[in-house]
Amino acid sequence: MRRYTVAAMGPALYTAVIRYWVLMLPRPRRITVAPVVALAIISTTTALVSVAPGADIEAGRRKAEACLPCHGASGNAITPGTPSLAGMPAFYTHWQLIMYRDGRRRDVQMSPFAVNLSDADMADLAAYYAGQTPRVRPVEIDATRAVAGRPLAQSLHCGSCHGPQLMGQNQVARLAGQDFDYLLKRLRGYKAKTTSDLDGMMTMVAQSLSEEDIQNLVHFMAGAAPTPASAGGDGR
Amino acid sequence: MRFARSTGIILVVLLALGAWFLSLGSSEGQQPPPAWKQGQPPELANSPLAPVPAPPTPTPAAKIPINKVKLPSGFSINVWADGMNNARQMAWGSKGTLFVGTRVAGNVYAVVDKSGKREVKTILKGLAQPSGLAFKDGALYVATIPNLVKYENIEANLDNPPAPTVVYTFPPRETHHNWRFLAWGPDGKLYFNMGAPCNICMPPDTHANVSRVNPDGTGFEYVAFGVRNSTGADFHPVTKELYFVSHGRDWAGDDFPNDTLHHAPKKGLHFGYPYCHQGDTPDPDFGKGRSCSEFAPPLLKLGAHIAPIGTRFYTGNQFPPEYRNRLFIAQKGSWNRSVKQGYRIMTVDLKPGQPPKYEVFAEGCHEGSTVHCRPTHIEWMPDGSMLLSDDYHGAIYQISYKR
Repeated sequence: MRRYTVAAMGPALYTAVIRYWVLMLPRPRRITVAPVVALAIISTTTALVSVAPGADIEAGRRKAEACLPCHGASGNAITPGTPSLAGMPAFYTHWQLIMYRDGRRRDVQMSPFAVNLSDADMADLAAYYAGQTPRVRPVEIDATRAVAGRPLAQSLHCGSCHGPQLMGQNQVARLAGQDFDYLLKRLRGYKAKTTSDLDGMMTMVAQSLSEEDIQNLVHFMAGAAPTPASAGGDGR
Repeated sequence: MRFARSTGIILVVLLALGAWFLSLGSSEGQQPPPAWKQGQPPELANSPLAPVPAPPTPTPAAKIPINKVKLPSGFSINVWADGMNNARQMAWGSKGTLFVGTRVAGNVYAVVDKSGKREVKTILKGLAQPSGLAFKDGALYVATIPNLVKYENIEANLDNPPAPTVVYTFPPRETHHNWRFLAWGPDGKLYFNMGAPCNICMPPDTHANVSRVNPDGTGFEYVAFGVRNSTGADFHPVTKELYFVSHGRDWAGDDFPNDTLHHAPKKGLHFGYPYCHQGDTPDPDFGKGRSCSEFAPPLLKLGAHIAPIGTRFYTGNQFPPEYRNRLFIAQKGSWNRSVKQGYRIMTVDLKPGQPPKYEVFAEGCHEGSTVHCRPTHIEWMPDGSMLLSDDYHGAIYQISYKR
């Protein structure tokens, strides 16, 4: 099983990307999974960033300094297992913070942090992160698994809620280019019914997944490039 | 000859069965889409229509555009209480506490009068869509997705609610359309919905109905069958008979089918889902070989996709006499329609021997695609004014009448 690193694109990659992502032709084996250009071309979504009324992005930037050690500059984390918040729909980040504060989602680091947040803090933070440009996380993607994950994601209708480019919308998370270990942890958690779930949808969907399916999905999603055009948008 | 023909029929049936098995085999791994998207025809696969998401925080009273609401002459509306994210069904305690349920917020709130000022307390957290509430003999009944629970002596313990006791456990596994209303019947039983766990499907035998149990959880009975998703019900103040609303299926057109008001004067009637919609049109798939005449028709078509929810008869004395015993229906949709409609309160006048009269009471909650408010559930103040929850803004409005 070969492993490839997500890297910068060259002309050859561009061609390969167009072949696979636009023309849907069989993918050659030796390419990296970083379809930035093609996705930017086929992305026609013009979306609005929906934030809570009264949210202050500038205040959010200041408040986010406390989050920087884990979630990284501009919300692009580098620690495996920690999600990037850049380009997350504001409703999503806001709901997750509420769930941490209410104890419906638990984490050793996040729970004590969220307890002290006011509704305004949450709105400001969520609005700030929604406006940041997400970057793909450095990770080794197994091309074979990523190719297997794509039709699986289609058959699971992930795009119905997460959007056609998996960039999330409203209360639904961005998956494209998200941290590999984090996606793995969350999907395994949904399957085990131990991960918080706003409306029960993900727990239901994950029940049919095998560990093999989860691996394939995560290779596909972590390797999909985030498309800034629809970052944080609601698309609806 | 006859033998040959029946052999032919059997062969055709066998071939069809074979094709069916093959088609299942080829679609192995294909999952049903999310429940709200299910039943969407392929040509609408890229439709931007989707249910309106609940915002993460309530809107402060000062920012709710309540002045957009238009009412009949003499009526006025104001924000009665705010700060209750995702506010849904309301129920009065016997000591003057208003309890408020929610869906995705997972909270139950209590609004109490504290030396002349209204105070909102979050009394329960982290429940699974505690949309339906009812109160009896000091206990708060809460309908969540998995079960019906009650909190004894709740009003004396708002700051430290007792552990709940499970009154009744709902049939398992289904979440979609199984956030519930609760309504006390004239028989002292608690009525609730168990919706179809899909947009359009053959529901499990346990679902797509209105049912009831005794207050202690015994005596479960189905009351009405073939009900896709009822979100509100009440009993006529004079006849004591059950009236309930139901949401029609999605993705079958902007103007079809109508959401409906039903009258169930006896238990056991079947109202058509999934075979027949709005009493007169068979479903394109499930209606094959069935006829709408097999089912009890709706009493009234309410409009397509308007999402009727709060459903209450007026028995108070504040509103003008012509409103007495009229049914008020709050409508929090539409989403599955290219041009929005609904977002209003209607009344239904049910005079014996006359067709129901369906009239606008409150409108203005949307202008084009802009939504200003979402009328959700209705409760009555002791003085006869109306309380109306809005699960988008997380607030409760009061509608009063003054001559």
